[in-house]
Amino acid sequence: MTPFSAIAFFPELVLLAGALGIFVVMLGESQGKAARAGAIFVALVALGASIVALPQSTVLFDGAYRIDAFSQWLKIVISAGYLFVLLLSGNLPDIRKETKAEYYLFLTLSVLGLTMLVSSVEVLSLIIALELSSFPLYLMVAMRREREGQRVQMESAIKYVMFGVAANGIMFFGFSYLFGLTGSTHLPEMFVKLAPIATTPLAIVALTMAFAGFYYKLAIFPFHFWTPDVYQGASNETAGFIATLPKVGAVAVLVRLVSLATPENHAIATLLSGLAILSMCYGNLIALVQKDFKRLLGFSGIAHAGYAVVGFTAMNTAGYTAALYYIVGYMLMVTACFVVICKVSKDGTNVEIDELAGLHRRSPLLALTLVVAVFGLAGIPPFVGFIGKFGLLSAALAKGQLALVIITVINSAIAIYYYLQVVRKAVFGEKGADAPAPEPLHLDWSAKILCVLLLVGIVWLGVAPAPIMDAIAASLAGINLPL
Amino acid sequence: MNVGLNEYLILSALLFAVGFLGVLVRKNTLVIYMCLELMLVASTIALVAFSRFNGTLDGNVFVFFILTVAAAEVAVGLAIIVALFRKRGTVQVEELNALKN
Repeated sequence: MTPFSAIAFFPELVLLAGALGIFVVMLGESQGKAARAGAIFVALVALGASIVALPQSTVLFDGAYRIDAFSQWLKIVISAGYLFVLLLSGNLPDIRKETKAEYYLFLTLSVLGLTMLVSSVEVLSLIIALELSSFPLYLMVAMRREREGQRVQMESAIKYVMFGVAANGIMFFGFSYLFGLTGSTHLPEMFVKLAPIATTPLAIVALTMAFAGFYYKLAIFPFHFWTPDVYQGASNETAGFIATLPKVGAVAVLVRLVSLATPENHAIATLLSGLAILSMCYGNLIALVQKDFKRLLGFSGIAHAGYAVVGFTAMNTAGYTAALYYIVGYMLMVTACFVVICKVSKDGTNVEIDELAGLHRRSPLLALTLVVAVFGLAGIPPFVGFIGKFGLLSAALAKGQLALVIITVINSAIAIYYYLQVVRKAVFGEKGADAPAPEPLHLDWSAKILCVLLLVGIVWLGVAPAPIMDAIAASLAGINLPL
Repeated sequence: MNVGLNEYLILSALLFAVGFLGVLVRKNTLVIYMCLELMLVASTIALVAFSRFNGTLDGNVFVFFILTVAAAEVAVGLAIIVALFRKRGTVQVEELNALKN
C-alpha cells in the first residue's frame, strides 16, 4: 500500500478544485466573463501542476490509478490543449449568455475526465474517467444557440449521445467477457492472465468489443457516424474541443490496452489494419465533396484516426510512439484550423470553404496559420503531419504491412486534393471584382498568442522530432513495468 | 433443472442481441434508448454470472458502476430528447435529417 502522494495527483486536484470554483462562479447570473477568466487561470495552474508532477511515478487508489512518465507527459499535453481551447473560444458567440459560465464548467469537467483517463489502469477507473469526459461533451453540443437557419444542435447532440451509449454498451459487454476470462478487473493482471488464451476466438471478440468505446472517441470506422454531424451541429469552439483532446485520450488508452495484449497477436493486428483502411478510405473519399469547412474537418478526422491506427498495427514501441506523436501533432494542426474557423465566422455561424476567400488580405496571420495547418494535415514537409506519417509508415513497414502502407500513401495523395482546395480558396480565391473590399479581421491578443504558439509547435515538431520521439519511446518502455 | 454459467451467458447474449438489433432497426429515439439500456443490462448479467462462478466479488462491484453510469447516461440522454422534442416536435429518427451537405 503506497502512501497517498498529493503531488502526484496535483493536476487532477487543480482541475477538480477549478471545476468547483467555476461552479460557484456559475451560481451568479450571466457570469460568462468571470468564468472564462477563472477557466484560463485553472488551465495555467493545471499546466504548471502537470509540469511539476512530471517526474512522479507511483500507484494510487489500490492500484487503480497509475502515475508514470507516460501518463504525466500526456497530462501536460491535455492541459496545454485545454488552454488552447479556452484561448480559441473567445467570448463564445454561439452560446446563450445565461449558460456561458456553465459551458466552462462542463469543459473543465471533461478535461478532468481525460486527465484521469490517461492514468487509469483498472477497468472501473477507466470507465468513470471515460464517462466523465463524455457526458459534459454531450451537453456542450446541445448548448449551441438556436437561430434562423440553424436548428440542428439538438439533432447532432442526440446522435452523439446515441452513438456514445451504443459504443459504451459494446465496450462494457467486451469488458464483462474479459473479466469472465481472467477473473480480474485490473488491466495488467487481466492481460497477464489473458496472454495464454489471447488467440482464442472468445478472447479476440472480447478484446475487439472492449476497444469499441475508444474507437468511438477516436472516430474509427464503424463508430464514426457521429463525427461530421457533430462537427457541423456543435458550436465552433465545442467542435474544436471534440476534434482534439478526446482523440489524444483515446489513443493513450488504446496504447495501454493494445500494449498489454500480447505483442504477436495477428488477429488483432489484422483487425486494426482493416479498420484503419476502412476509416481512411471512407473519410478521404467523402471529404472530397464537402463545402462546410467543419464538416470537411470531420471527415478528414476519420481519415486521420485511420492513419493513427496504422501505428497500432505494428504492435511495438515504434508504432505506439508514432501513433502518439501523430495524434499530438494532429491536435495542434486541427486546433489551428479551428482558430481560423472561430475568427472568420461571423457571430459564431458555420464557415463555408468559400467564405475563406481573400483571407490573406483580411488577416495575414490567420491565413499563415491556416496554410501551415492544412499543409501539415496534408502531410507536406517540413510540418509535423509529414514526419508523423513517416513514423507511422516506417513502423508498419518494418512489420511487413506492405499493403497497408501502400493504401495509406494513396489515401494521403487523395487527401492532398481537398486540402489544397482549402488553401487555394484562402490565398488565391477572390470574390467578384465588383464585390466590396474585404474587411480586415481584428484578432485579440489571445488569438494572436495562440496562432503563434500553434505555428511554432507545428513547425518545431516537424523539423526536430527526435528528442520528443525519444522521450515518448522512453515513457512507453516503462508502461507495463511494476512501480 | 440446474442453472449454470452457460444459461446466464446465453441470456445475456440474447439480451445484448435484442438491444443491438433494436438500436439498428427501431425508429423512435425513446425506444432506441431503451434498447441501449438493454445492452448495458446484458453486460451486467454476464458480469454477475462470471463473478458468481469465478468466486470473486469484483464483477458485482463493476455492476454497481455500470448501473450508476447508465443512470447518468439516461439523465443526459432524456434531457436532450426532451429538448429535441420541444424544438422539433418529433423524436422519430427519420425526421432527424437536417444535417446534410
